[in-house]
Amino acid sequence: MEAPAVQLDQVSKVFGDRYALKNVSLELPAGSFLSIFGPNGAGKTTLLRILATLARPTSGAVTVAGINLKDDADAAREQIGLISHNSMLYADLNAEQNLQLYARLYGIENAQERVDEMLDAVELSHRRLDTVRTFSRGMTQRLAIARALLHDPQVVLLDEPYSGLDPHAVEIFDSLLEAVRENRTFVMVSHDLRKGFEACSHALVLARGTKVAFAAKEEIDYDAFAALYHETVGMGVA
Amino acid sequence: MTETQTDKHPIGGLADTLAKPALLIGALLTALAFVLAFTVASPVVGAKVNGVELIGNEMIGNQILLSQKIFYFHMPVAVVSMVVLTGTAFFAIRFLMTRDALYDLKAKICTEIGLVFVICTMISGDLWTRFEWGVWWVWEPRLTTYLILTLMVIAYFILRTAVDEPERRATYASVFSLIMYVDVPISFFITRLIPSSVHPVIMRSDSGMSPDMLAPLMCSLFGFCLIAYGLYRFRARTELIALRVEAAKDTLDD
Amino acid sequence: MTVRVQKPSTFAQYVTLLRKDLQREFRTRDMLSSMAIYAFLVLVVYGAALSQTGSQFDILQMSGGMLWALIVFTSLLGLNRSFSYEKEDGCLEGILLVPLDRSVVFLAKATSNFLFLLAVEIVVLPLYYFFFLTTTTPQPTWPLMLIPMLVGTIGIAGIGTLLSTITTSTRGKDVLLAVLFIPLVFPLLYACVSATTVVVAGGDIEGIFRNSVLLAVGYDLVMVLLSWVLYDYAVSA
Repeated sequence: MEAPAVQLDQVSKVFGDRYALKNVSLELPAGSFLSIFGPNGAGKTTLLRILATLARPTSGAVTVAGINLKDDADAAREQIGLISHNSMLYADLNAEQNLQLYARLYGIENAQERVDEMLDAVELSHRRLDTVRTFSRGMTQRLAIARALLHDPQVVLLDEPYSGLDPHAVEIFDSLLEAVRENRTFVMVSHDLRKGFEACSHALVLARGTKVAFAAKEEIDYDAFAALYHETVGMGVA
Repeated sequence: MTETQTDKHPIGGLADTLAKPALLIGALLTALAFVLAFTVASPVVGAKVNGVELIGNEMIGNQILLSQKIFYFHMPVAVVSMVVLTGTAFFAIRFLMTRDALYDLKAKICTEIGLVFVICTMISGDLWTRFEWGVWWVWEPRLTTYLILTLMVIAYFILRTAVDEPERRATYASVFSLIMYVDVPISFFITRLIPSSVHPVIMRSDSGMSPDMLAPLMCSLFGFCLIAYGLYRFRARTELIALRVEAAKDTLDD
Repeated sequence: MTVRVQKPSTFAQYVTLLRKDLQREFRTRDMLSSMAIYAFLVLVVYGAALSQTGSQFDILQMSGGMLWALIVFTSLLGLNRSFSYEKEDGCLEGILLVPLDRSVVFLAKATSNFLFLLAVEIVVLPLYYFFFLTTTTPQPTWPLMLIPMLVGTIGIAGIGTLLSTITTSTRGKDVLLAVLFIPLVFPLLYACVSATTVVVAGGDIEGIFRNSVLLAVGYDLVMVLLSWVLYDYAVSA
């Protein structure tokens, strides 16, 4: 069996006596789709930021795409793409300049071809010379996907990617995800229980920084999961 | 609070036990210095200690200056303020290395005490400039660099209140306090670097001070050091206990 | 299609980031235009402030100070802007996701801030002369003032880049930048004013000018180095 794409070993994030994450461990096989659920302040975003190398855990080991983040964060960064509710695009540059910028920073050799290809994939070729400021929310989010996948990362992190998208944009977004899903591992933080559950192959529930439940989807159906979620999470938080 | 944190930042123990006597002895020493300054230390004629002074466009060399007594408090308070800010810089570096929130807490407490001493220095120093030099303020290197330091210590607290997220606040405060600290040695050594400055150089072997002047000065210096230490330990203890209470509350909530 | 990734050199990444800032500025011109307009308005205010000074007044003695006051306030405005658009859509985070050394981000930003400030200074300097100095004759040594100007701008851009990184993610960022920035650049300001005044109004060029410029260079070295070292912490927080 292949090495797990994401591996957490007793990961904690503490500041003072406030635990954002407390001894979270899990293993995620390559090619799977993990959805992280939990109420506000459960540590979902913290976990995602740790996986994205934007935050460092206080203790514990994190491995992404077989690379320990502590050993070589830069090597791991080459394998990580992040799509968040922030587009991370410069509103005053045009679509192509934005992608070119990131292509150069990542050091993609066939930059122009790759940028063209990604613009095609997200159906924005016709708007390539327009500034991102003129884009609708849905178009911006599509371009953000292109940006995140530009360097062909193995692990794609999604931080509440649906926020602010209208239903049509959500559809396009879903089909795009479906198209790039092959051979990649996804980790998504979502507030939408049903949507997150539909997409995932594994589900993780966090509450107050601790792992409440972690299961593969085959083991549980949605209703049972929702019941479990409300039971476990409802207890500790309300 | 984890076990390791309690070990690294103990409450009680020798350091805290010493805090109370330190504060007491410090208070006694400064009181003694106050008495000595007015009784034992010989009155200074003019500004003879530091040569001749130009006051209000007049050369004054023979007037008995009572205001010279300010010196016995001004200089020790200034030295202690720099020592305390050195503590801030030390804890800031420790924080950036370990990301331990309690180091940031200690850095903050040091800066708080630093602020008290810095303000005392500014007030006593300004009285000095008024009565000894005859002006309220001069843009002279020592005064200017110390004014900058004062402003930056105040800015440190403004920065802290402007950031909500605790870890980010701690990081920013540490980074800023390290930049701020650059000014401390500059301010300390500037009277040596630019000798034309009117501010006297005190810390030198041939300071020209008689033993009767040295006695109150030393009493005051050690007194203020002890007071600063006592204040620091008391503040740290209060804050650490408050944190522990918070942690206990959280545990009870679960 | 396969993606061939060859990790670019640090210098190449620096150039890419710098080019991004220039590209953006070229498109929007928001930093340059706002700084230039602001600087011009300060000149107009100076006009009112000096209107009652009469002909006996030696403007040359004051011109160095006024010029540097103008530069400091204008640069505050620009520095505030330089990071606001990086935070707007989380762009800075996007940059941090890329495998690159954090100090490259600092150097690129400091360079672009330096270039923009310099551009504004080049526009403002002749205007300043035009409004205030045509009635007198500056010393023939005046071109030497470009040295403190260059050194001062480097320092302002360096320390300003670190501080504006910190203040963009705080409340009341505009005021806070001023509160942190002005005491910190004071020594630099002091040195640059004395160096500029000496070459414009005359005086001990050998001594004062050289010492002031040396002081400014020393300040630059210490501050830019320290900012560079501490930048990783500030930008990752």
